[in-house]
Amino acid sequence: MVKVVDGRLVEHPILKFNRGKEVTIYFNGKPIKAYEGETVAAALYASGVRIFSRSFRWHRPRGFFCAIGKCSACMMEVDGIPNVRTCKVYVRDGMQIKTQSGFPNAEKDFFGVMDKLIDRIFPHGSQYTKFNNKIFREMLISRLRSFAGFGNAPKVEFSGNADYEEIECDVLVIGGGPAGMSAAINAGKYGAKVLLIDENPNLGGQLVKQTHRFFGSAKHRAGTRGIKIAKILEEELRKIPNVDIRLETKAFGIYGKIVGAVEKSKLLRIIPKKIVVVTGAYERTLIFENNDLPGVYGAGGVQTLMNVYGIKPGNRGLIVGSGNVGLILSYQLLQAGVEVAAIVEAMPRIGGYFVHAAKVRRLGVPIYVRHTIIRAIGKDHVRGAVIAQLDDKWRPIPGSEKKIDCDFICVAVGLSPTHELLYQAGCKMKFVPELGGLVPLRTKFNETSVEGIYVAGDVAGIEEATSAIMNGRIAGIHAVIALGLGGEMAKKELKESLRDLEEFRAGPFGERIICGIEKCILAKEVEI
Amino acid sequence: MRVAIIGAGIAGLATAYFLAKEGIKVEVFEQKFLLHGASGRNSGGITAQFDDEELIKLAIRNEKLYDKLQSEIGFNFLLRKDGYLKLANSIEELGRIELQRKFGLKVKIMEAEEVRNIFEDINTEAFKFASFYPKGAIVFPWAVIWGLAKGCKDLGVKIYDFTKVEIVAEDGKVKGVKSGEFHEADVVVNAAGAWSKEINDKLGIKEEKRIIREEICVTESIKPYIDPYILHASEGLFLSQSMRGEIVGGIVGKSDGGMTSSLDFLIRYAKLVTRLVPKLKGLAVLRQWAGIYDETLDGKPKMCFSEIKGLYQLNGFGRKGMSIGLACAEIASKEILKFTQEE
Ligand SMILES: Cc1cc2nc3c(=O)[nH]c(=O)nc-3n(C[C@H](O)[C@H](O)[C@H](O)COP(=O)(O)OP(=O)(O)OC[C@H]3O[C@@H](n4cnc5c(N)ncnc54)[C@H](O)[C@@H]3O)c2cc1C
Ligand SMILES: Cc1cc2nc3c(=O)[nH]c(=O)nc-3n(C[C@H](O)[C@H](O)[C@H](O)COP(=O)(O)OP(=O)(O)OC[C@H]3O[C@@H](n4cnc5c(N)ncnc54)[C@H](O)[C@@H]3O)c2cc1C
Ligand code: FES
Repeated sequence: MVKVVDGRLVEHPILKFNRGKEVTIYFNGKPIKAYEGETVAAALYASGVRIFSRSFRWHRPRGFFCAIGKCSACMMEVDGIPNVRTCKVYVRDGMQIKTQSGFPNAEKDFFGVMDKLIDRIFPHGSQYTKFNNKIFREMLISRLRSFAGFGNAPKVEFSGNADYEEIECDVLVIGGGPAGMSAAINAGKYGAKVLLIDENPNLGGQLVKQTHRFFGSAKHRAGTRGIKIAKILEEELRKIPNVDIRLETKAFGIYGKIVGAVEKSKLLRIIPKKIVVVTGAYERTLIFENNDLPGVYGAGGVQTLMNVYGIKPGNRGLIVGSGNVGLILSYQLLQAGVEVAAIVEAMPRIGGYFVHAAKVRRLGVPIYVRHTIIRAIGKDHVRGAVIAQLDDKWRPIPGSEKKIDCDFICVAVGLSPTHELLYQAGCKMKFVPELGGLVPLRTKFNETSVEGIYVAGDVAGIEEATSAIMNGRIAGIHAVIALGLGGEMAKKELKESLRDLEEFRAGPFGERIICGIEKCILAKEVEI
Repeated sequence: MRVAIIGAGIAGLATAYFLAKEGIKVEVFEQKFLLHGASGRNSGGITAQFDDEELIKLAIRNEKLYDKLQSEIGFNFLLRKDGYLKLANSIEELGRIELQRKFGLKVKIMEAEEVRNIFEDINTEAFKFASFYPKGAIVFPWAVIWGLAKGCKDLGVKIYDFTKVEIVAEDGKVKGVKSGEFHEADVVVNAAGAWSKEINDKLGIKEEKRIIREEICVTESIKPYIDPYILHASEGLFLSQSMRGEIVGGIVGKSDGGMTSSLDFLIRYAKLVTRLVPKLKGLAVLRQWAGIYDETLDGKPKMCFSEIKGLYQLNGFGRKGMSIGLACAEIASKEILKFTQEE
């Protein structure tokens, strides 16, 4: 049994959590215990806070959701600075945190009644079409204005000092997951000046949350845990002196030949010769009634909370989606001493690998195939869910509804490539369902339609870590060859790496991917 | 009588609306989508603080038209009259205050310290003088375009989007416009903003104009904080707060270029804006974009028939289109009406 103290896991069977010094932070004036190294959102969650903000118009409760700074549900005022994503800032002793979009605060918000009223008195878009009389119109404008705005106006001047640095490099790698590390290693080892950036405080991307032993072939580290693979790659990477690694550094734009990024509070203007975009993927969501209720999470959010910060997400969870992510997450929850009420899957069969499914079944978790979630139940956070069986036209069968008791729901219905930077850079994109959504066209060397911009890993098509590593290698080596580095050795290795990938994908699981890639391969091959 | 209008910006749509009200058959052609031009990309600052009699009069007329059209069309442009604050490092750069007063503008000249009564958090070191026009306003440009388009459609005007057209002229007279298809017209209005020069060039009409690119960005939204529209005339910095609470700001355009946005702009803007309002330092920028507009050498719009019979020029609004565009369209529609009656 895993011991839980103050909402935090201690003595996990696989993970060890090194918590920092104990500090006190203040949430709407109330003292809360936290440990250095925890984000504000994680510490609040551990202390039982479930409502983090209110939605802009309807004032519906918003809870912790993505844990990685992508959804804005956790924005609060921190030490007088509005709209701080509390899942991205670390606790400091004496920190003052206030919720901002609710009166008197987000947890007890009088404006919560808006949820019931506003569509009746003020339907969406009516701000444009009602109030044709000048006097009413001007009154409306001033009233509307006082409701506008998410955070409070800044009360103090931001004290972080804003630095600026310009960096020139041969190869810029955006993303430090397996694909990114592999690209950086392979470009770096042939002497290219490489800069690798990742918005997280650690390398590894998705791997840092994967405590399970990996699937895949033995040659490619199957049987090794995801977190271990990340460590192996990182060690190799850190040995190469000409690779500069910047963590907590987010690329926000590719402007022609210049890349803009923010490293903590420093602005970087990066001028690379080649760019490898390896930004991974983000989680898809699902539409059902009350899917915005605090307690409805993405699988990634729960993994981050539980495996990175060691915080117990709840007592009993419902998992939606039986792909590998859903199955593995269920297993990880059980490991952390959390009950899994059930797994529901809309398809007639389980999506993930048999081994994973067998494992969770053995532990007594029911898997409902041909079922979906109809709604989440609860007023200010999840207290249950209703699921129902689907007919062969994907419609819920009346009378088949079942109530499930749970205090959180994980949506694990797949990933979509994080393609925004590629779009902005002008890469030609295509919607390829086999690859998980919008992906860039690319040559077999992973160069996109924009010369000098490469892709690899999940951003090029949702696949898995081994092929992400292989594709990163291809991109990295091709980039150095194009820069005139590496000589014959590199050319030989490039051929080899293409062959390796082909062999790896030859198995039955590669079929779908190969079919997808055929749809987005660029005719123009840049042979070297 | 048929009128074809090129460009669904504020100028083109407003002209279409005024003409349709007089019972004229009007068609509007837009090469991309509504809001593609400067009218969908601007900062919505409305003022009459200009240095020329004609412009001041147009701007005053324009203010009235905003009120009138909103009621008439039944569409709220989200126009907020909290004043237009012009800052400068020298009194000369504030422009011709006496002239503005002569035409009835109640502009107030202030020293830096006084401006804090209007906006407390402004850094008084960042400028010396200000001229405040209380009737100045901020409008949501998208709502203006949506509203005008609604007004047009209610009157039976056809708006073709994704239809890039060329003017067809024969023997010094317009015949209509064509994309793939030919659309006959007795009058063609060139209200194509930054693209109007290209259209005129094709017809051999010479004009001296500058195409200017201006960049702009918005931050995340915060509670009402900045009331007036603020323009720092010496530095070209502008900012205001939208109805949603975002800080919308940029740097007045100087040179031409496409509609792409740049990192250098963001860096410069961040420096300028946080010097003027230091408390904005912690805010994150959510989006940035650029727009282009056309400026004549004397800074006044072109609104006249040109050497090709039936071709009306309604362009050259520079950075003032939201402040004078409606009034100019009203004049244009009257002149076109007169022309059609004479024909
Ligand atoms: C629950 C789960 C279980 C899995 N199990 C397995 C398994 O058993 N076997 C297997 O092979 N695969 C498995 N995978 C898949 C594997 O983890 C991914 O395919 C792999 O991590 C993809 O690597 P990547 O480098 O493309 O992306 P990621 O690992 O997602 O890394 C992308 C990185 O880019 C960073 N980034 C994104 N945008 C920016 C930006 N603008 N600026 C800076 N940095 C940015 C992100 O922070 C992230 O660190 C699993 C995935 C999940 C979610
Ligand atoms: C960043 C920025 C900030 C600004 N701030 C302000 C401000 O605060 N206050 C203010 O008053 N003004 C401001 N302006 C200026 C204002 O936006 C313009 O003056 C005004 O929008 C011009 O309107 P228009 O109708 O002439 O042109 P546009 O709005 O550009 O419309 C022209 C339309 O014609 C279309 N078109 C072009 N060629 C063709 C063709 N061949 N066939 C069919 N369609 C065609 C274009 O696609 C376009 O939609 C700003 C401009 C920018 C870019
Ligand atoms: S941005 Fe913090 S939880 Fe999503």
